[in-house]
Amino acid sequence: MKVVKIDKENWAEGIEKIKESYKVFGPSKSKEFHLFKELEKGEAPDLNFLNTRLSPKSMFFPQSEGILCYCLDPNKKDECNIVKEIQKDYSPKAIIGIRPCDAKAFTLVRPNFDNEEYQDPYWIKAYDSITFIGLACSNTDDSKKGMPCSSCFCTSAGCGPFNEEGLDALIVNTDDGYIIKALTNKGEEFLNKAELSANSNADELTANINTLKKQAEEKINSFVETDKLKDKILLDLHSANFWDDECFACINCGTCTYVCPTCWCFDIQDENYGDSGVRFKQWDSCMYPLFTLHGSGHNPRSTKVQRFRQRFMHKLKYYVDKYDNGIQCVGCGRCIRLCPVNIDIRKICNIMNSYEPAA
Amino acid sequence: MSDWEPKIVSFFCNWCTYGAADLAGVSRLEHPTNTRVIRVPCSGRISPKFILAALRKGADGVWVSGCHPGDCHYIEGNYYARRKFALMKNLLEHMGIEPGRVQFSWISSAESTKYVTVINEVVSKIKALGPRKNFIKSKN
Amino acid sequence: MIGYMDKIKEISERILKEGKVDIIVGFRKGSLPMMNEPCVVKKAEDVKNLVWDSNCGINLVNYLTNRKEKIGIIAKGCDTRNIVTHIVENKIKKEQLFIIGVPCTGMIDKNKVASKVDSEIIEVTENENTIKVKTKTNEIELNKTDLLQENCSICVHRNPVVYDELVAELIEEPKDIDRYASVKAVESMSAEEKWNYFEDLISTCIRCYACRNACPLCYCPTCFVDESRPQWVGKGQDKSDIRTFHFLRAFHCAGRCTDCGSCERACPMGIKVRDFTKKLEKDCVELFGWEAGMTLKERPPLDEFKLNDPEDFIY
Repeated sequence: MKVVKIDKENWAEGIEKIKESYKVFGPSKSKEFHLFKELEKGEAPDLNFLNTRLSPKSMFFPQSEGILCYCLDPNKKDECNIVKEIQKDYSPKAIIGIRPCDAKAFTLVRPNFDNEEYQDPYWIKAYDSITFIGLACSNTDDSKKGMPCSSCFCTSAGCGPFNEEGLDALIVNTDDGYIIKALTNKGEEFLNKAELSANSNADELTANINTLKKQAEEKINSFVETDKLKDKILLDLHSANFWDDECFACINCGTCTYVCPTCWCFDIQDENYGDSGVRFKQWDSCMYPLFTLHGSGHNPRSTKVQRFRQRFMHKLKYYVDKYDNGIQCVGCGRCIRLCPVNIDIRKICNIMNSYEPAA
Repeated sequence: MSDWEPKIVSFFCNWCTYGAADLAGVSRLEHPTNTRVIRVPCSGRISPKFILAALRKGADGVWVSGCHPGDCHYIEGNYYARRKFALMKNLLEHMGIEPGRVQFSWISSAESTKYVTVINEVVSKIKALGPRKNFIKSKN
Repeated sequence: MIGYMDKIKEISERILKEGKVDIIVGFRKGSLPMMNEPCVVKKAEDVKNLVWDSNCGINLVNYLTNRKEKIGIIAKGCDTRNIVTHIVENKIKKEQLFIIGVPCTGMIDKNKVASKVDSEIIEVTENENTIKVKTKTNEIELNKTDLLQENCSICVHRNPVVYDELVAELIEEPKDIDRYASVKAVESMSAEEKWNYFEDLISTCIRCYACRNACPLCYCPTCFVDESRPQWVGKGQDKSDIRTFHFLRAFHCAGRCTDCGSCERACPMGIKVRDFTKKLEKDCVELFGWEAGMTLKERPPLDEFKLNDPEDFIY
């Protein structure tokens, strides 16, 4: 696979070339934080950030996504009394500057939307239309942000600051340029279209990347222990007594689930506006009582502790057992940084991992 | 848009304004037809949710009318409503709904002439503001 | 504030040992700089975990709703006003509570601190009037008063309204503060400007409901956003639905909001949600002469009326 190093001056030019073939999305600072947005002509991604406030999961799993619409207006002959699929844009897109943790997160989510039994056409088509160009969390001079950040625990959550899973290419920001390494055919195509091929000595650059990778990994000083989770007896953990204490502070808002790159739960809503209407997918959260409310009025998860337990059990036990694919967490740390009351998944994970039921 | 006519959602108390509207009609008093009346048991029944829903679904204006203070069928429903309306109207205007989009009145069931005066006033004010542009739910 | 810590522990330990309370609701040290975690202490020997500093901005009254035990609660000025509201609204009984009153000098806005430095904050240590901020590249000392949450910087009820014991002498309440400058700034705009102001304000809202859930007033068994028959607010990201949510959330707090700032502090997207509630607070003062949570003897303003309430806006 191709590895190139480009001058930072040539970067903007390459981005403009890319825009001819892709819709390009990248981090952009608005208000106090970075979010992914479509880059307009002449706009380059702002790579001077720790991580975006929200994960880019909404790129292919929008918070609200129309599925079907109907119309009962007899004046609209072609549409009247027909349920129609809402047309969406699945043209090629490129996300530039996605962090390795977010990219890896989506590979953990994929089995939920794309497996032998079920395929979610909306998720799959949208995901597959994207070329993921990652940005490694290297510590460089021009971004004095001190990456990776102190609440990142990716290396012990099956990921890392230079992790390549789920990425089509990886950008490494160095003091004197960007090293870009293609990882898949999609990534190579991206490089070709950007015409960024000059100055490449693959072996030297790969060695360079590996050095920076090692340095970045050494900077991570926050960890979780997950080795014993798989062997724990599910019901022991479920009925453990620490949940009551740990959930006390939780206010059951959905912040952790909405900012999480691996949270995938959604609801189906119907809305009608007189003679027309839509059906749409809508993010939902296990933190809300309505999430599990039955039509009968019964709610199997009616209390805070049940909902709190569900979130962590799902990520750290049910997923582990079901997919045998590690924990459903990549250590991005967003839920820790943004929780209003400082619920910390690292702490809960370690408690679960070391839990021994009383004899 | 010279022939544009506003659509106004009206919430009328069953015991007063609803009767006044009826009386105005029976008395053949000429008045505008821009209102779509929703009958409520008391102005105290009106929740901000109703008013916001009317606006969100595209009403050009909302008109709420109940019994004069002291005349409430339930003794004090309109007194509670009055406080609610005062705060609500101010907050609506504070977040950018033009003054006049949401209007309030007290009209007893005997006051068909006041009804006609007020409806003329309500309609002309909303007409002057023109069609609503913001806070309308988009149909995607 | 940092100096209150020993006294808080002393009182907590004493009332737990004397059996005056079953639990203490307070804060323990958080896992990030400038974050403390609300916690419950059940045993006298665990009192050592309690902390108190300028990062205790979350309103602890949120954790009292409908509890049955005897509770000791560490409460600053705004918290005690919410306790009053809770008692008046029958969400807790006065007899259940032992209020450890904290004369508060204001809570720190961690976003403000973050904006003063250009790299990640590793550690923050607090002194009486200053805080020391350590980043990966730098260490600076900042004045606490410049870093207060906005609601704290305009607070005139720093002392507890009700309490069983104080952790320190009452402090002098600030005077000559314009508490409604932010409201007036919006009031002076045209309707269109106001609309755009709020449109921009809530443009990043993800409807996680952190503002609602951090609020001690939001305890409805079924929130209006969860009602489905009829469904008053759409669940999607339509702008009109998002605005309806913010409008109604604020309206439900009318005459009850103590401007404790928990909502704003909780927002993961940094939205100044107090811009909605602050207007209602101002109107309640101007129209009904009412400030929330100042007395146990009166009902909240929307649960009451006067014969001569203002009605010049009604035909």
